[in-house]
Amino acid sequence: MDANPIVLEDAADDVLAVVVEGEHDIYTAPALRERLDEALAREGGGVVVDLTAATFVDSSILGALLDARRRAQERSQGFVVQVGAGAEPGVQRILDITGLIPVLPVVGDREAAIAAARGGLPSLQDERQA
Amino acid sequence: MSDRPEVQLVLPARPEGVGVVRQALSGMADALAIDADVLADMKMAVTEACTNVVLHAYSGAPEPGPLEIGLLAGEDGLTVIVADRGSGIQPRASRAGSPALGLGLPLIAALSNSFELRGSAGGGTEVKMTFLYVRQGDPVQANPIGETGWEPPGEASQQSA
Repeated sequence: MDANPIVLEDAADDVLAVVVEGEHDIYTAPALRERLDEALAREGGGVVVDLTAATFVDSSILGALLDARRRAQERSQGFVVQVGAGAEPGVQRILDITGLIPVLPVVGDREAAIAAARGGLPSLQDERQA
Repeated sequence: MSDRPEVQLVLPARPEGVGVVRQALSGMADALAIDADVLADMKMAVTEACTNVVLHAYSGAPEPGPLEIGLLAGEDGLTVIVADRGSGIQPRASRAGSPALGLGLPLIAALSNSFELRGSAGGGTEVKMTFLYVRQGDPVQANPIGETGWEPPGEASQQSA
C-alpha cells in the first residue's frame, strides 16, 4: 500500500480530479507530474487537484501545480486546486504565504472546484473587475 | 558543550531522504514538546533546505554526496543545520523555471526566526536555521516572503478578452 497515493477520479462527466493524500515533496513530485499529465491529456476536460487529504506539500509540489496550470491555460482547460475543510493547516499555510491562492486558484469545496474547473471562476472574475 | 549537536544524521542526498529528515524532526519535536505550528514550519523550512542540497549540491557528480543534518536543542529554540559537501551553491532569491521555483530560500527566511547561509567546513554549503519554541508572533509577519524578491508567477487565470 502506498501511504502517499495520488489517484485520478471522475469528479464529473467533464472534470477529472487528481486526489493527493499524505506527504508530498521532491520524492513524489515526479509521480504528481505524471498524474497531472494524464489528467490534462483528456481533451477539453477540466482538472481539479484535491489537496484536502494531503498532510504536507513543499515547493516542488507547488512547482508541479503551477506548470500544470500553465499547460491547462495553453489548452483552454479549466484548472483549480481544492483544499477543503479539515485540511492540514500546513498545506493551507504554504499556499497562503506564497500568495498562490488566487493564482492557482484554490477553492474550498468540490462543488466550487468543479464549477471553477469548467471555466466559470465567477469569484475571480468579480475580483478582477472590482 | 551547549553548541554540540544533539542529533546528527547523514544520508545520501537523494529525494527519498528528505522525508526521513522530517521524521527525525518530528521525533525531536515530540521529545521537546514543541508546538504543532512550530513543527509544521520547521518541516517546511528544513524540507526546502534539504531539497536545495538534493537538487544543486552534487549536480554533475556521478553519485550524490552526503546530506548532513544537525539538530541542536538550545534553551529558547531548536537550531537545525543542513549541510552538504558539494561545490557550493550560488543562491538566488528567484530562479524562474527551476523544478523548485526558487522558493526554497525565501520560505526558509520567512519561516525561521533566524537563518544563516554560509560555506561549510567541508567545502560545501551550510544553512543554519533557528526556530523559537515559544513565538512572540508569526515569523512570516516579520519576514514577509514578498520582501525576498519572490513573486507568484502570473496573476490569476487568463481570461478571454
